[in-house]
Amino acid sequence: MAQQQFIIERYNPDTEESYEESFDVDVQPGQTVLDSLNAIKWEQDGTLSFRMSCRHAICGSCAMKVNGQSMLSCQTQVDSAAERGDPIRIGPQGNQNVVKDLVVDVTKFLDQFERAETWLEPHEGQDPPEKEYRQKVEEFDHWSHASTCIHCGACYSDCTVAAVDENFLGPAALAKAYRFVMDSRDSKRTERLQFLSEEQGGIWDCTRCYMCVQACPKDVLPMDAIMELRTMAIEAGFTNNHGTRHHKGFTSGVRKRGRLDEMMLPIQSVGIGRLLTGNISAHKEMMDYTPGAIRLLKARKLLKIAQRHGANAEGREQIQRIFEEVETEKHHHNVDAEAFGAEFETAIGGH
Amino acid sequence: MSKYAFWPGCVAQGAAPELYTSTLAVAEKLGMDLVELEAAACTGAGIISDGEPYLQDVLNARTMAMAEQMALPLMDICSTCVGVHRLAAEKLREVDYRIRINAHLAPEGIEYRGSVDPRHLLWILLEDVGIDKINSLIKRPLEELNLGPFYGCYIVRPERTLDFDANPTRRNSLEQLIEILGATTVTYDGMTKCCGFPILTMNKKNSLTMAGTHLEEAQSLGADALVTPCPLCHLNLDAQQPDAAKVIDRSLNLPILHVPQLLGLAMGIEPEKLGLTRHVVDTNRLLNKIGA
Repeated sequence: MAQQQFIIERYNPDTEESYEESFDVDVQPGQTVLDSLNAIKWEQDGTLSFRMSCRHAICGSCAMKVNGQSMLSCQTQVDSAAERGDPIRIGPQGNQNVVKDLVVDVTKFLDQFERAETWLEPHEGQDPPEKEYRQKVEEFDHWSHASTCIHCGACYSDCTVAAVDENFLGPAALAKAYRFVMDSRDSKRTERLQFLSEEQGGIWDCTRCYMCVQACPKDVLPMDAIMELRTMAIEAGFTNNHGTRHHKGFTSGVRKRGRLDEMMLPIQSVGIGRLLTGNISAHKEMMDYTPGAIRLLKARKLLKIAQRHGANAEGREQIQRIFEEVETEKHHHNVDAEAFGAEFETAIGGH
Repeated sequence: MSKYAFWPGCVAQGAAPELYTSTLAVAEKLGMDLVELEAAACTGAGIISDGEPYLQDVLNARTMAMAEQMALPLMDICSTCVGVHRLAAEKLREVDYRIRINAHLAPEGIEYRGSVDPRHLLWILLEDVGIDKINSLIKRPLEELNLGPFYGCYIVRPERTLDFDANPTRRNSLEQLIEILGATTVTYDGMTKCCGFPILTMNKKNSLTMAGTHLEEAQSLGADALVTPCPLCHLNLDAQQPDAAKVIDRSLNLPILHVPQLLGLAMGIEPEKLGLTRHVVDTNRLLNKIGA
C-alpha cells in the first residue's frame, strides 16, 4: 500500500467560495481515482460532492478532470494518473457551471441533443414493425462506434470551441446527430445535414483540435463524426457557407500549384461570386482582412505570399493527374466513405 | 551527416518565410542534410479532407512514398503537417485501403509500403541530434528568458498516432528544448489548446478569443515570448495578435518564436538571419534581454 496525494478543486455554493484542498489516501494496486474519492468521502470529509453510479464505465456519471483532462474517474487507475510521487489534481468538468465541488450543471450539455433532435424519425407511411426497426449489419458497421456514447460529457468539457462559444452544439450532440444521419432507418438525413451545416454553432465551427477524440472514454471519435458530416453535407449540396468555400478554395489552389495558395484563399473563402454580385456582407468580410494584410505587408511577408510558391513542374503534373483520377473514381465508388472506414478501423483497432 | 527527406509545408514558404530560413540556418550548424521534397503536395491540413478525405490520403501517401523511395526519414517543420502525415500513415496501415490508394501512385512509378514515421524537427532534435550535441553548440544560453510553449494541436493529439509511450520525450518536447537552451518554462493552461487559426475566416470572434486568451494567460504569468512548432499557430498568435487583443479587450505584446528561431538564437546565429525582424509583434525587447 502506498500513499497518494490528491489536490481537489472545491466549490461551496453556500459561501460561493472556491478553494483547493489536499487529501492523502492509502492506495492499493489497481485502485481507481473514483475509489480514492469514495475513500476521502467516507473516511475524511463527508461533504465532498461528486457524481457516480455504476463504477463500470457505462453510466457516464463520474467524468471529471484528472490532471487537466476529462476522463471517467472509475476507469482511471491511480497508477496511470500519476507519476510516482506526484500529486493528482482533480477538478470538475470544464465549460459548465459548477454546482458544488466536482458536480457541474449538465443542463447546457444535454440541451444540445434536443437542439440537434437526436432521436429516430422513422420513414412515413411505414407501419411500426412488430419488434424492432432493423438495420443492415454492413451499414451499422461503418458508424457503430458512434453509437456507444454514454453522455458523460468529457468531450464537451474539454472542447476548445465550447470554451469560447455557448452556442456551439458540441462534439457529443454532433456525434449523436451523425449517428442518425448515418442510420438508414431515419427519414430526416437531408434535413439533418442542412440544419447541421447552416445552424450557427454547427459543423463548420469545429476547430479540428482533437480534444474530444482524446477525452472520449468510448472511442466515439466525435471530431471524425463532424468531419464526415462536413463531407456528406457538401455532397448533399449544402455548400453556400464559408466552410465549404474555404474547403473548395483551398483544394483548387492545391490542384493548380500543388500548394496552398495564401493569396487567393481569403477571396475564395468569402466567395468570388458573392463579391461580384455586390453582396454587402461579403464585401465587409473582405474589408475585415485589410488590417491583417497591412500588418503582413509591414512585416515584409505579403510579397512572399504574392510569389505563390508551388510544387515543381514535375510534381504539379502528377498532382493534377491525381486530382483528375480521383474525380473520375468518385463517379464509381464512394471513396470518401472508404477513407473514413479505413480511419475508424485503424483508429479504434489501434489501441 | 544525417540526411532527411524534408517537407517544409506551404506556410513556411508563404506567410511564415522566417520558419523556412531559420530551419535551413540551424540545419547547417547541426550538420543535417535536408533533401527538400519539391515535387510533393500540400498535406491538405485537414481542409482538403473536409470534403475529399480520399484525395487528401492519396496526396500524403505520395509524399511518404517519395521519402520511402529515397530511404530517408521524413522531417516536417509544422505541427499540422506532421499530424496530418501521421494520421494518413495510420489509415494506410489498412492493407486494402493502401492498395487502393497506391493505384494512384503507380503511374508515377512509386508505391507507399507503409514504413514511414513522419517526425517534426522538434522531435528529431531530441531523438536524433540529442541533448549533448545541442549543448555543445550553444553560444548564447537563454538564461534570462521565460518562455511559454505553444504546441499546436496535432503534435499532441490524438495521442494514439504519436507513439508517446515508445518516445516519452515527445510528450513535453518543447519544455525540454526550452530547458536545454537554458531558459525557464512558463507552464499555462492554454499551451496544448487550439490557437483558433482553423476557424479564423469562419468565426473570427471565436478564433481570436482562443488566441487572445492563451496569449493573455502566458503574458500574465510572466512569459517573455512563446515558442511554437506550428506556423499556423504562429499566424494566429503573431500576425493576428493586435486583433486578438481587441477581441479580448486586453493589451498584448508577446513575441512568438518558431522552434528553429529559438534554437538559432541560442546557437549565436544573427537574429536577422533567423527572420526575427520579420514578425508582426516586435522582437527587439526580447533580443535586447539576451544581448542578441
